[in-house]
Amino acid sequence: MAMRSQVYEWTNNSATGTSSIRQTVDPIAQTVSGNKKTDIFIGGIGSNITKPAETNATQFVVIEDVATSAHAASAVQVRINTTDYFQNPDVTDQNGVPGLASPYPRGTTSNGAISDNDTADLVVIAGDNVLPSFSLTPEIYVLPGQTYSVLYTSAQDAGVTGGKTVSCTSVACFVKYTLYDGPDSLIANRLLEMGITVNPSNVDWYKRSLLEQQSMPSTGGVA
Amino acid sequence: MAMRSQVYEWDGSKGSGAAGSTLTSNDAGKSVSIFIGGKGNNITKPAETNATQFIVIEEIASTPSYFGTTASTGSSIGTSVRGLNGIAPLTAAGQTYRGPLAYTQIVINTTEYFLDPDNIANSGVPGAASPFPRSVNFQPSFNLHPTVYVLPGQTFDVRYTFYNTTHGTGGAATYSAGQDMCFVKYTLYDGPDSLIANRLLEMGITVNPGNVDWYKRSLLSAASAPALATNGA
Repeated sequence: MAMRSQVYEWTNNSATGTSSIRQTVDPIAQTVSGNKKTDIFIGGIGSNITKPAETNATQFVVIEDVATSAHAASAVQVRINTTDYFQNPDVTDQNGVPGLASPYPRGTTSNGAISDNDTADLVVIAGDNVLPSFSLTPEIYVLPGQTYSVLYTSAQDAGVTGGKTVSCTSVACFVKYTLYDGPDSLIANRLLEMGITVNPSNVDWYKRSLLEQQSMPSTGGVA
Repeated sequence: MAMRSQVYEWDGSKGSGAAGSTLTSNDAGKSVSIFIGGKGNNITKPAETNATQFIVIEEIASTPSYFGTTASTGSSIGTSVRGLNGIAPLTAAGQTYRGPLAYTQIVINTTEYFLDPDNIANSGVPGAASPFPRSVNFQPSFNLHPTVYVLPGQTFDVRYTFYNTTHGTGGAATYSAGQDMCFVKYTLYDGPDSLIANRLLEMGITVNPGNVDWYKRSLLSAASAPALATNGA
């Protein structure tokens, strides 16, 4: 399987401790500090994986979409090795794409209200469906041998509260990427060198070009 | 019938009527085959292609989930948001989400399709990313591109996993129709079109109805082109 569409979902929910490896049954929201970047893969909060996200020598990853909760002033940043992808115009750090611009799930509420019938401070406004204002074009390439991370930040000073308190919040992040493996990773590198966008169609096009070259009759020399 | 658009819909509550044939809270965290898992509506045998069939899976989707917040004491802490259920958060230690927390994985023969970045299989595509049914409130973030090919002679499966045991009505641990659903859209190429699909695959061309038709037209054009006469003189 040479090209595969892949997804990763992170939430701040974990059934035991502050984090768990992968999703767990009946997880509980965990606290995320405000204005602090949390790695959604190995950050120690919510659902995590076993090691940092990285590509080996025969893998090429194209990140096509990043999204996060529209509430809790959430934002999501992509980091390749040690470099943050989204920057301010003055080339200073920022939190990345706001959840209000790239919401997950799409169509969710802007305030994360829990009850449709709530008459207190959590009113779902009719027609309050946050839709994406942002698309990740051009996509982000993770070359063979690179490490990457996706960082969640709540810009609220109080962050995101979890546990058995009077207030608590679940937040989520979503990453969609395509994994090119084996020969398709080599083709992806070749396309990159040629200045051609790496996507499944162009990888297929390159394969066809190779096949056409092979099937062309060789021209014989004239003595 | 050479190319056919096909769908399969599964509902975990639509069992055969026999004991244990519907999804229960005991199934949380377990991956259940939507074809032969013994839960919900099933088919008679594992999904597979024969020697003259080629399948392209184009979409998978499942019941969505909602991630929310409670801001203060005194505010209403309802159990339902936009048709999705869960228990009231302050009585359940921070379960500020609604819906089944469902995921859908594709398995070809014995290989899971969706992996985490650490190269270990995960539960698949979240229902929150690929919701079924779609609505204004729940819209897709995910599309299955490139599509998944099931070659002749392969077995395939779609597996549903949920993690919220209290997504029944009012936060119950028993589930009704529509609370655990899965949807698969695929195209079945049969007979000659299966051969063409294999040929396209060898040529590195995406298998879809448009390209199969293009290949047929190419064959017809080649067959109807006048043969070049050789002059023996």
